[in-house]
Amino acid sequence: MMRNCVLTTVFSTVVAVGMLGTAQAEINVVTWGGAYAVSQQKAYGDTWKGEKINWINYNGGLGEIRTQVESGAVTWDVVDVLPDQVRTGCDEGLFEPLDRGMFVPAPDGTPMDEDTMNKVPNNCVAPNIFWSYLAFYEEGTFKGEHPSTIADFFDVEKFPGKRGIHTWPNALIEMALLADGVPIDRIYEVMRTDKGIDRAFAKLDQIKDHAVFWSAGSKPIELVKSGETSMALAYNGRVGAAVLNEGEKLVPIWDGQVVEEEWWVVMKGAPNAEAAKKFLVHATAPEQQAAQAKWINYGPMRKSALDLIKANEPWHNSGVNIMPYMPTREEVLPRSIFADPAWWADYGGEISERYTSWMSQ
Amino acid sequence: MPASPAKPGGPLLTADGMPLKTSLERSLKLSKIRALGLIFPPLLFLVILFVIPIGSLLTRSIDDGLSNKVLPKTLAAFERWDKTSEPDESMFEAVYLDMKAADKLDLSKLGTRMNYEKSGWRSLVKITMRGLNGIDGPPYKPSMLQLNKRWGDIEFWQSLGAMKDPVTLGYYLKAVDLKYDGNKNIMRVKKHNRIYQMLWWRTFLVSIIVTVGCLILAYPVAHLLANLPLRLSNLLMICVLMPFWTSLLVRIVSWMVMLQQNGVVNDSLVSLGMLHDENRLSMMYNFTGTVIVMTQILLPFMILPIYSVMKTIPLSYMKAAQNLGATPALAFIKVYMPQTIPGVGAGCILVFIVAIGYYITPELVGGKDGRLIGNLIAYHMQNSLNWGLASAMGAILLIAILTLYWVYDKLVGVDNMKMG
Repeated sequence: MMRNCVLTTVFSTVVAVGMLGTAQAEINVVTWGGAYAVSQQKAYGDTWKGEKINWINYNGGLGEIRTQVESGAVTWDVVDVLPDQVRTGCDEGLFEPLDRGMFVPAPDGTPMDEDTMNKVPNNCVAPNIFWSYLAFYEEGTFKGEHPSTIADFFDVEKFPGKRGIHTWPNALIEMALLADGVPIDRIYEVMRTDKGIDRAFAKLDQIKDHAVFWSAGSKPIELVKSGETSMALAYNGRVGAAVLNEGEKLVPIWDGQVVEEEWWVVMKGAPNAEAAKKFLVHATAPEQQAAQAKWINYGPMRKSALDLIKANEPWHNSGVNIMPYMPTREEVLPRSIFADPAWWADYGGEISERYTSWMSQ
Repeated sequence: MPASPAKPGGPLLTADGMPLKTSLERSLKLSKIRALGLIFPPLLFLVILFVIPIGSLLTRSIDDGLSNKVLPKTLAAFERWDKTSEPDESMFEAVYLDMKAADKLDLSKLGTRMNYEKSGWRSLVKITMRGLNGIDGPPYKPSMLQLNKRWGDIEFWQSLGAMKDPVTLGYYLKAVDLKYDGNKNIMRVKKHNRIYQMLWWRTFLVSIIVTVGCLILAYPVAHLLANLPLRLSNLLMICVLMPFWTSLLVRIVSWMVMLQQNGVVNDSLVSLGMLHDENRLSMMYNFTGTVIVMTQILLPFMILPIYSVMKTIPLSYMKAAQNLGATPALAFIKVYMPQTIPGVGAGCILVFIVAIGYYITPELVGGKDGRLIGNLIAYHMQNSLNWGLASAMGAILLIAILTLYWVYDKLVGVDNMKMG
């Protein structure tokens, strides 16, 4: 009897310690795949001295996150999320509120929330990066004049050839209105009216017969390289990677790029929330934010990180200057549209329907 | 003591003196429990994986309880309103009191739900939530209008009508491009936003084309498989099964390489001079691409059941028919083909059902007009978070498949079906 009791105790202790071990030893970080995930692993993961990190890929969206939180079976700790989803998710209580005081201030003492290039939308988020949708073409595609503005992208007479565009409306509405002559600071004001949306679709009609639709991020690069389209819209990181890592002769058109935010969050009820928060403090520190740009040309959200890069060029791991490829550098900002996640959270559903209907007619 | 024999006229007793009837019942009960124990794991599996999810799918597709829980006063005020005049102070007061009393999380969720009825509700609810504490007492109307001028927009108020009942068919209506107006009359959605009817129609069309295409391709192959000498038929079987075992993504990507504008097929046609360089065919990222790739991927589902049925048809029947004077073609049509019906039926049902809910292929090769209803369900599950609508579309799909199964049962008989 005694022996049995001892055995049981030993056994349950082993099990308990084992479970404790797995619970404490690992942080599940969920992010997008590809070169982007690699840059995060190198900049945030390899420099992290704490718990082991499991990098998990997902395809965005709040579906899985909401399922985990609502069913109470949360397995993810940290997630990399899109701007409108970070707002909806925080409103719906899917993310853990983060204590703003724990984050590392900028070298000059500015608190993190004032060190970001945009307004922090709520207290669920930790800063990550900026990326953008932009137009690009391959050198040598056009004889004579080269396209240099977003209006040129919509002008199939001046610049013949097909156009690669994505199968969802984000960024396209903004670009169409800018190309149609709406002043850059009035775009969302115009988009709040029915007339404005009609105007955007009328502009999109001009390239509809020339459009090739893509849905996977690697596709636009292929479309342009194979000559199937003369220009395409793509994620700026994909164009940058093709140029920086593979020596492709692709030319980005920075005019009219649509800049999007990317945030970090901690899941509500994350199995390892404390370690996850510590990891985010590490990953959002200016040095780590800057280090990420060594591997991919996405703009760190923190100003101090950008300053760090500028002061230490050539910063990219291949030995070239990374700033000319940054979507958030000062030279391109006046003609960049910062996407308004609040607009997309309100009208995104309706516009997606209209875009789908437009696309298949 | 030996067991006493039954008293005359008394009940039959077993060896231990128990009435036979009770004893029999007891042993039967035991074996019943044992049998139940044996089927318990699959039963549990069925309940957990089918009954509960499908039940929750069906409830989600009609559940609209949140608005009643969060905005009871508002909805009561809405009932008293004539739906056309400008909302008065009492309505603003109701909204203010409801929002003041509401749980913050519920209110945020409701904002997302209200936004499905009228775009803009989400931020309106959010802005109002934030500004609520700044309002100090009646009259509420001017202060709320000051918070956001959309409170003066009658369309927002009218959209409440679609949310006033705790059980709604709104998601089902939405799934076929209809909606409720403020008085719960059914009307069509704005012309620009009609997509679902078209998508249902397209999904149905693709499934039919794919099923017919598979049948036309599979029938001769299955016939060959069933009638070739063993060595050859084994080789052919491997050719059928190889793609079946190959990763779906690999097959889809190889089709992209083949069919895209600068792909193998177009390049060959151009270099052979059969096609002008400027008129390259668009066979990828559209309807055509979806149909071609889905047909190839689903082909084994058609070949295998037909083959397994053909394998059992004795050759002597055909010979007998020809002996009786039928030409080979007539014998094939009149004698051989009717016997393959169970396999054809099974294959068609299988391919059609898989095709109608197909997701990954249309997502990757669908492009502008090849995406199906399954892709929209995924979109609403993952991105828009409109699970009510996703559930309603799933339920419609389920009903469509059950109806099809019923029709098949009436026409051919499910007992006739042979999966292999």
